Amino acid sequence: MFKNWTFGRRLAVGFSLVGAVLLVIAAVSYRNTSTLLENAGWVAHTLEVRTGLTDLRSELKDAETGQRGYLITGVDDYLEPYQGALKVIAGTMNNLRKLTADNPHQQHRLDIVSSLIDSKLAELKQTIDLRRTQGLDAATKIILNNTGKAFMDQIRDVISEADQEEADLLAVRTKEAQDSAQLTTAIILWGGLLGTLSVAAIGWFITNALSQRIGSAVGHVQSSSAELQAAANQQASGTKEQATALNEISTTISELLATSRQIAESAQLVSQTAEQTASAARVGRDTVDATHESISGIRRQVDQIVAHMLELGKKSQEIGTVLDIVSELAEQTNILAINATIEAAGAGESGKRFTVVADEIRKLADRVGGSTKEIRALIDDVRSAVNTTVMATETGSKTVDAGSRQFGEVATTFQQIAGLVTTAAEAAREIKLSTKQQTTAVEQVKVAISNVAQASKETEASSGQTLQTASQLASLSKDLLRLIRPQVAG
Amino acid sequence: MTELPSGLSARVAELRLAFDRSFAERPTPDTTVSEDLLAIRLGGEPSAFRLAETTGLFVDKKITPMPGGSHGLLGIAGFRGVIVPVYDLQAIIGYPAARTPRWLVMMAAAPVALAFEAFEGHLRLLRDAILPRDASEQARKYLHEFAQTGGFVRSIVHLTAVLDAIRAQARVASPKEER
Repeated sequence: MFKNWTFGRRLAVGFSLVGAVLLVIAAVSYRNTSTLLENAGWVAHTLEVRTGLTDLRSELKDAETGQRGYLITGVDDYLEPYQGALKVIAGTMNNLRKLTADNPHQQHRLDIVSSLIDSKLAELKQTIDLRRTQGLDAATKIILNNTGKAFMDQIRDVISEADQEEADLLAVRTKEAQDSAQLTTAIILWGGLLGTLSVAAIGWFITNALSQRIGSAVGHVQSSSAELQAAANQQASGTKEQATALNEISTTISELLATSRQIAESAQLVSQTAEQTASAARVGRDTVDATHESISGIRRQVDQIVAHMLELGKKSQEIGTVLDIVSELAEQTNILAINATIEAAGAGESGKRFTVVADEIRKLADRVGGSTKEIRALIDDVRSAVNTTVMATETGSKTVDAGSRQFGEVATTFQQIAGLVTTAAEAAREIKLSTKQQTTAVEQVKVAISNVAQASKETEASSGQTLQTASQLASLSKDLLRLIRPQVAG
Repeated sequence: MTELPSGLSARVAELRLAFDRSFAERPTPDTTVSEDLLAIRLGGEPSAFRLAETTGLFVDKKITPMPGGSHGLLGIAGFRGVIVPVYDLQAIIGYPAARTPRWLVMMAAAPVALAFEAFEGHLRLLRDAILPRDASEQARKYLHEFAQTGGFVRSIVHLTAVLDAIRAQARVASPKEER
């Protein structure tokens, strides 16, 4: 239950208990002191009444003394006590009436005394008047009848009774005052002791609880301050490393900035070169298109050449066919001539002239046959040449086709190159813009890094202060723990 | 008209001149003693036979095969209305049989035709150019002589001997007819 109480609550409850004890002691002491003061007041009151009674008796004695002196001497100066007493007796009586207003017995006695005093003062006045008027004897006569003395004795008796009652009251009130004083003393003594013990107990309780909790808290604070010190140490070293790293980063960013600027300039050159290349690629594409058209024309001409050469081969073949016929005719003519020669030989002398003709025909046929062979050889050469030409032309045609395809591919490639170069130009332009933006961003980063470096330096200084504060906190917690738990703090 | 090359034009001119001259000049009797030969090729070797031993030269005649014929008999063929047997000249004289003997020569001594592969032309040689073979070559009974033409030696086939061989072979094949 008490463990969850806060320090303020514990202190409030402790001081409240102490305050309550002190308040009780103070209240009781106040009450007893009041009673004591009241008793003292009553004692003083009683003493004042007794003093009044004594004064009244003394004033009556003074009046009687003045009367006797005047009676004896007849000198008015001796009347001064008498006259002085007359002036104060009434006041004294009134004072006594006021002081004993709460005591009916004393009021009754004062009434008796008052009448007796009046009678006494009347007897004194009578004697004085008689002395002044009739002399000493008349006055002595009055005195000798003892009336005055009787009044005076009665007054003394009543005053003595009243004084005795006041004395009794004084004894009672003195006893009460002493009792009150003793009780007050005891209350002060025992109350002080009780308060001291309460204060000591509550102080011990609070001190114990506070020392436990504060000691535990201080222990935590000490360990936390140690951890904080270590963390601050790490933070300081880390901040130092961070500052170093930021310096390196700043240097690197400066180099990066310079590189970015160079890249921006290079990108601009690349962009210009790409645009020039795109223009050259367009010119090249037009040239390739024109060349492709020329190759198509060559292709058509080669096709025509092939057709003509095939036609030439066909004609050569037809010539060969005709030549075969001619050769066959020559061969047949030769055979006929030989047979004619044979027949002419069989005809004897008459066939000799025919033999000559047959010989001529045979020779002619031989020559025709030879010429036919030569022509055939020539035609074969022509056909071979035609075939070679056709093959070469077909090879050329294929080569032209391949060249045409390759040129088509080259044209396509040029087109692609033109497109790619255009794309590259756009990319270079974008790179240029991006690099400019990058340069701006790098400059901003440089500024930011400078700010961060500045902040890091400040953080480093702050870390140093934090480390110092943590060290001081650790020392303070140690001192505090030493104050609270010296055996633990060692 | 397209102009011919100079060599060919000269050749044509020469032919034309020779042809015209043959009809323009007076014929002169041949006073030299010569032999007419038909140059052929037998088994790849240059050969010849005498024109006088033949009655005709033919080419690409249709030869009808005969069943069960004698050695070298290719079949029969018709020549100027006469049906004659056709023999392979190479097979008769002992060479390997010709594959496609398209040339035919009719023998003068008998109605028999001989077939051979290649005909090379007509030769007219001086009789001195024809020389007999020496004794060691006499074993070849069909080739008694040879002629030197064009830088190489051409054997001369003796067709009469060939005919004798055919006749001997025919007698062996049909002895009853002989009786």
